[in-house]
Amino acid sequence: MTIIPEDHIEQSLEQSLDHCIKCNICTAACPVSAVTDLFPGPKYVGPQAQRFRHERQSSPDESVDYCSGCRVCNEVCPTGVRIAELNARARARLAAERGIPLRNRLISRSGLIGRLGAGPHAPLANALLGFKPLRLVIERTLGIAREAPLPAFSRYTFRAWFHRRRAPQTTNGASGRQVVYFHGCSANYYEPWIGKAVVAVLEHNGFEVLLPRQRCCGLPLLSNGDFAAARRAHEANVAFLAPYALRNIPIVGASTSCTLTLKEEAPELLGMQSDAVRAVARQTFDIFEFLRTLYERGELRTDFRPIERTLPYHPPCQLRAHRIGRPAIDVLELIPGLRLVETHASCCGIAGTYGLKVEKYRISMDVGAPLFETVRRSGADLALCDSETCRWQISHGAGVAARHPVEILAEAYGLVT
Amino acid sequence: MRTTIVIGAGLSGLMGALALAEAGLRPLLLAKGQGATHWTAGTIDVWGADERSPREALQTIITSRPGHPYALIGVHAVEEAITRFRALTEAARYPYVGGLERNVLLPTAAGALRPAALLPVTMAAGDVRLGGEMLIAGFRELRDFYPPFIAANLAAQGIAARGVYLTMPPAFRRREYTTVTFARMFDDPAFRSEIGRQLRAQRGNATRIGLPAVLGLRDPLEVVAHMQNESGAQVFEIPTLPPSVPGIRLFTLFQQAIERAGGRLQIGSEVIRGEGQDRRLTTIWSEAAARQQEHRVERVLLATGGIAGGGIRTDHAGIVRETALDLPVRAPANRADWFAPRFLDPHGHAIYTAGVATDAHLRPLGAADEVIYDNVAVAGAALGGADTVRERSRSGVSLATGWAAGRILAGLVS
Amino acid sequence: MRTLTTDVLVIGGGATGAGALRDLTLRGIRCALVEKGDLTHGTTGRYHGLLHSGGRYVVKDPQSAEECARENEILRKIMPHCIEDTGGLFVVTPADDESYADRFVAACRRTGVWVEEIPVREALRREPLLNPRIRRAFAVRDGAADSFLATHANADDARRYGAQVLTYHRVVGLERVGDRIIGAVCEDLRSGETVRIHASFTINATGAWAGKIAAMAGLHISVVPGKGTMIAMNHRIVNTVVNRCKMPADGDIIVPIHTVAVLGTTDIAVPDPDVYDITPEEVRLILEEGECLVPGVSRMRALRAWAGVRPLYREQDAGSDRDIPRTYKLLDHETRDGVAGIVSIVGGKWTTYRLMAEHTVDLVAQRLGVTTPCRTADLPVEPLHDSAASAPRSSARTQFAILASPFYMLGHRLAEVEADDSYGDLICECELVTRAHLEAAIRSDGTANLDDLRRDTRLGMGPCQGGFCTYRAAAIWHELRNGTAQAAGAPPATALIGHFLQERWKGVTPTLWGDQLRQERLNELNYLETLAIDRLPATGRDTIVQGRDYVIEEVV
Repeated sequence: MTIIPEDHIEQSLEQSLDHCIKCNICTAACPVSAVTDLFPGPKYVGPQAQRFRHERQSSPDESVDYCSGCRVCNEVCPTGVRIAELNARARARLAAERGIPLRNRLISRSGLIGRLGAGPHAPLANALLGFKPLRLVIERTLGIAREAPLPAFSRYTFRAWFHRRRAPQTTNGASGRQVVYFHGCSANYYEPWIGKAVVAVLEHNGFEVLLPRQRCCGLPLLSNGDFAAARRAHEANVAFLAPYALRNIPIVGASTSCTLTLKEEAPELLGMQSDAVRAVARQTFDIFEFLRTLYERGELRTDFRPIERTLPYHPPCQLRAHRIGRPAIDVLELIPGLRLVETHASCCGIAGTYGLKVEKYRISMDVGAPLFETVRRSGADLALCDSETCRWQISHGAGVAARHPVEILAEAYGLVT
Repeated sequence: MRTTIVIGAGLSGLMGALALAEAGLRPLLLAKGQGATHWTAGTIDVWGADERSPREALQTIITSRPGHPYALIGVHAVEEAITRFRALTEAARYPYVGGLERNVLLPTAAGALRPAALLPVTMAAGDVRLGGEMLIAGFRELRDFYPPFIAANLAAQGIAARGVYLTMPPAFRRREYTTVTFARMFDDPAFRSEIGRQLRAQRGNATRIGLPAVLGLRDPLEVVAHMQNESGAQVFEIPTLPPSVPGIRLFTLFQQAIERAGGRLQIGSEVIRGEGQDRRLTTIWSEAAARQQEHRVERVLLATGGIAGGGIRTDHAGIVRETALDLPVRAPANRADWFAPRFLDPHGHAIYTAGVATDAHLRPLGAADEVIYDNVAVAGAALGGADTVRERSRSGVSLATGWAAGRILAGLVS
Repeated sequence: MRTLTTDVLVIGGGATGAGALRDLTLRGIRCALVEKGDLTHGTTGRYHGLLHSGGRYVVKDPQSAEECARENEILRKIMPHCIEDTGGLFVVTPADDESYADRFVAACRRTGVWVEEIPVREALRREPLLNPRIRRAFAVRDGAADSFLATHANADDARRYGAQVLTYHRVVGLERVGDRIIGAVCEDLRSGETVRIHASFTINATGAWAGKIAAMAGLHISVVPGKGTMIAMNHRIVNTVVNRCKMPADGDIIVPIHTVAVLGTTDIAVPDPDVYDITPEEVRLILEEGECLVPGVSRMRALRAWAGVRPLYREQDAGSDRDIPRTYKLLDHETRDGVAGIVSIVGGKWTTYRLMAEHTVDLVAQRLGVTTPCRTADLPVEPLHDSAASAPRSSARTQFAILASPFYMLGHRLAEVEADDSYGDLICECELVTRAHLEAAIRSDGTANLDDLRRDTRLGMGPCQGGFCTYRAAAIWHELRNGTAQAAGAPPATALIGHFLQERWKGVTPTLWGDQLRQERLNELNYLETLAIDRLPATGRDTIVQGRDYVIEEVV
C-alpha cells in the first residue's frame, strides 16, 4: 500500500497557515521588521492575520503593505508556511479594495517604461532622470524617492541587437540543441550586455539560442497587487513560451526574479494551473542552474582562463527563493583563481520596486545597510549578484560596481561581449 | 558537485556538518528552515532527569539502556564532541563552560532551577550555587520576561532575589519588540550605557544581575563586560521563549565554522525523498520551485529532528513516518498509547520516543534490525529510544550523536 | 458564614440563567445569581456557537424550528455585537437522501424558517472548499454567536440594574421549609466560606445539572445529559454555517466561529454531566462525516475536541437522544410536585435562551405579583465596556470598514489592533489578546484562574494552545494580584500555569497528530526545557487548590 504523506499533498497557499507553530523564527529573520516598526513581522501579517481575513469582507489590516516580499521568511520557516505568498495575496486584496496608486501602476510596468526610455533617445531620458530638481518634482508628485536607484536606459535594446547580429556559429556544429532565452525587461532595455553574455555563453556551449516574443514576467505587478494585469502578462508569456516548453526546449533566464515568476510566483499566486502553465514552469531555468546541470552531466565546457580575483557575491532573495542552492558559485568556482565570498546578508532592501517608493526608501536602505557594509569591507571594487534591481541597489548603497556573474563567466571563456 | 549531504540544521546537523567539513568532505547541509537551535535555551544539557552527574548518568545508561542514543555511541564520543564544541565556541569568542562532572543549576524565566552541563559564559554568573543576592531585571516591552514572577519563584526556593523593570530609553522606543530587536539594541553601546546606569541605581545589595538572554548578537562577551562595568555587579543571561538569542548565536557560529571548513548551508530546501539500491542511498531530492532538485550522494547524515523538528511526523490515522528518506520508524503501535493523561507527566508521552533505530554506526535499521543504508547515519532527535526533553538530554544527545555521525561517515571511526 | 437576602435566586450562570437575571432586573425584581464556576462554565461555554435559523429542526421538531426562527431575529436585533452574520447553507451531499430536500423546503415554509435555494455553483463560490459534488444548496439565516460574550453582556447589564452575580459559588443545599423553598446554601469556592442566600423564589437554570439541583429539594427531574462532541479546526475552513440537508444526525454541521471552524456533533447519553470522555470513535466519526462536506478535512489541522452536555428533558421514554424534542420545558414545581418557591427550566438551546428566560420570569413575576411586562425582546443588551474598547481611538480607525459593522466580524480584532498599532502589546498572539484586554480581565473579580481569562478574552484558544501565552498571562497575573504583598511559598500564578496547560492538554489530546502534535512538542520545549516549570514547587499537583482569589480544580 502506498501511503500519501499528508504534508506533501498540495495544500492551498492559505491553508499552509496550518503549519505555523508560532515559533517566530520568521519574525527574528525578517529584514524589514528589523529596521522599522511599521511592519509587525511576517508571522503577524502572515499566518496569524490570515486567520482573521474573510474572503468576502473588506481587509482588516494594512500593515502587510510594508512587507517587501523578499521571502526570507519562507526560507527560514521550519514548518513550510507560505508566508510571502499569503502576504502577496493580502496586499492584492488591499489593492483591489482601495485602488492602486498611480505611482505603483507606473513603476510596476517595467516593460512600458523600458519601451519609452530605451533607444537612441536614451541619453536624453537618462539625463532627465539624473537631473536632481526633476527627481524632486517626481518625488513630490508621484512618490518615487528622489535618491532611489534608477537604472540608465540603453541606447539600443537587446532584441534589436539580437536580430541585427550576424547569424551565430555554434562551435559544436549543429548539435540541434536549442534553448529559449527569456531576457526580461532589464536585459532588453537597460543592460543588453548581460543578454549578450548569456547568448555568448550558451552558444559557446553549443546551443542555438531562440528568442520568441515575450513580455514583462509580471513580478512588479504581482508585488504591487495588480493581479489582473499580472495575469494578462503571464497568459501572454505562456502563449509565447509554451510551444517551446511542450517540446522540452529549456527556457533560460539570467534575471532570477523573472525565472522565479515563470516557475512559481505567477502560477501559484494567480492560481493558474493549465498544462501549458505547468510546462513553462517546469522548463524554466536560471542560467546558472542550467549550466550547473550541464556540468553535472559532463557537458559544460571548462576552457576557462584564470581570473585571479576574490569577489563578494550576494545571492539575491529571489534566487534563494528558487531553493536550488548557489548555482552561480558552483559554476564560477570552476574558474581557476576566482573566489566568491558569499555575503550572508539577508536582503539588499530594494525588493523590486519597494525601495523606489518614497515612504519605503529609508527602510530599504536600512535593510541593505549590512550588505553594503560587507561589500565595502571586502575591499573589492566589484560585487556580483544575479538580480538586476539588487545590483542597482548595491551600487547605490555600497558605491561599487555590481555585475551579473554570467558576465564574469563570459570573460573567463574569453568571450567579448 | 557536493555529494556529502547533511539533512537538518539543528545542533546535530550542524555538529555533523562541522565534522564532515573538517574531514575535507565539503558537505552540503540542506534544511527545510532554521530550527531547533532557535527554539531552546542554548545550553548543552547532557543529563538532568535526576541528581546524578552527567558522567555518572551516562555510564549507567550505556550499560542499562542499549537502545539509548548515548549507549550507541559511548561516553568517549560524548567527551570528544564536547571537547570539539568547547574549542569551537572558544575560537568564536563565545566560550561555553562546564562539563560532565556536575550540572550547573540556572534560573529560568519562570524562576525554576534548570540543570545544564555546558553553558555559554554569559550565563555563568546565574549558577545558583555561587550564592549572593540576585537582581532580576527586564523590560515591560519584552513580553517573554517577567522579573517579579521570576524573583518570587526564586524566593520561594530560598534564593534571595528581587525583580525590577527598567525604563526604555526614549531614543529606543518602538511599537514592537522581540528578543532579536533587544539583542540588536544591546549591540549598541549607547543603549548598554543607559541600561547599565539604571542597573547600578537599582542594584542595592545584589551581587549579580539576571537579564533576559538578549545581550547582543555580535559580541555578547563585550556586552556582558560592559554591563558589569556599568552596573558594578556580575551580569548573566536567562534564556527566554523562542526565538532564542543564544540559539541564534550558536547557529551563526556553526555556519561560519562550517563554511570556513569548506561546507555550505542551503536553508529553505526540504529533502522529501531518497532512492538507493544494495544498501546504498544514491540520490535524494529536495523541494524547489517548479521542480525538485536532485542530489547524487555518497553519504548522508540524517539530522531532521523528531516531532518538533519535523523529522518524524504523525497523522490522523496514527501513522508515524520519517519525513526525508521514509526510513522505518519505531513508535508505539497504538495511537491510544501515545499520550499520558497529564501534560506534565514525569515519564512523558510515549509518542515522543518515536524515531529511527540504528546500529552502533548510527546506520538506520529495519524492523528485523537489518541495515537499510550503509552510507547513511542518523543523529539527533530523529533517533528513537528516548524522550530527551524529559531526560533533559536533548542538546547533549544532539551534539554528541551529530559529531559521532559525522566522524563515522567521514570514515574516522573504525 | 455570610447571609444575603434577595427576591429571586437564579442558580446557573449559563445563557438561560444570565438571561433570566437580566429579565428579572428589567422588571424591577431584586435578584442574585450563583454559579459554581465562572459564567458559561457549563454547557453554554461548551457548544459550537450556532445561532439556529431553525432549519435544522423544521422536519423533526417544528415547534423548536419556529422558536429558533423568531428568536434568531430578536437576538440579531438586541445583541448584534455578539453575533456574526455568517449565513447558513443546507447542502445535499452525494451521501444524503435527495428526497429530504423537498420535505425540508416545505417544512421551512410551514414553520416560517426563511430559506432560498441557490445554485450549487453559487454555493461553491461562497465556500470553495465545499464538496464539489453537492447536488442542491439552500441558504438560511444561520449565524454564529459568541456565547461567552453574550452571557457576560446579559450578566453585566443585570449588574447595572442592581443584580448580584456570585461566581464560584457552588450550591450545596436548598433550604426547604415545609413545602416551600426559601433559598440556598452555597460554598464560596474561593474563600471556602458558606454563604446562605434567602430568596422568595429560586430559578433552577442549571441545564444538564437541573436534576442534581432539584434532588437537593427532594424533587425528581429526569434530565438526560446528552453529550455532544465537537472538533475545532485551526482556521475557518468555511465562512458560512454548513449543514447537511438531512434528518439531524452526528457530525453533520460545520460552524465558523471566531477564527476556527467547529465540526459537530455527536449525541450520546451520559449518566453524569460531570463525568465523560471523548472517545477515538467519536473523533473518527466526526472527521469521516466532515469529509462529506469538506473533502480533505481530516488532513487539516484540528486544534482540539471538547464536549458539552445538552440538558435534554425526558417526559416519557423516547427512543434515542436525538428523538427527545429540542424545545424547552418550564417545570413549575408548585403545580407539578407541590413544592412552592422554585421552578426549573430545562431543555432548549442557546438560540432560545431569551425566550426561555422570558417564559420563566413570566411565571415567577406572576407568583410575586409583579405585572411589569418582559422587555428583553426589544431592549438591546449593552456591549461590554472594557478598557481597551473604550480607549480613545485615533482618527485612522475609520479606515477599517469592518469596525463600523454592528455585527461582529471575523476581522474585528485584527482591525482594532491595526487601528491602535497595538501589535507590540499582544500577549496571546494567535487570538490577538492585547495586554490591555488581559489586564482588564485579570482585574475583574470574576476571574479565578487562566481558564476564566480564556473565556473572557480567548486567551490560549488559537493554534499554539497556550504554548506561549500561558507563561505570559500567569506572570502578568502575578504582577497584578500578588506582586506587592509577597507571601511565603510559591506564588499562585505558578500553579495557574500547570492548571491551564493541563486544561489545554485535555482538549488537544483527542485530535493530536500532525502539525498540532508538533506544536505541543514545541510547547514542551518551552515549558520543560526552557522554563522548567516542572521543577518549580506547586506545579503539576493534582490537588484542588483554593486560595484567596484563584481556584484550581483538577483537570483530567
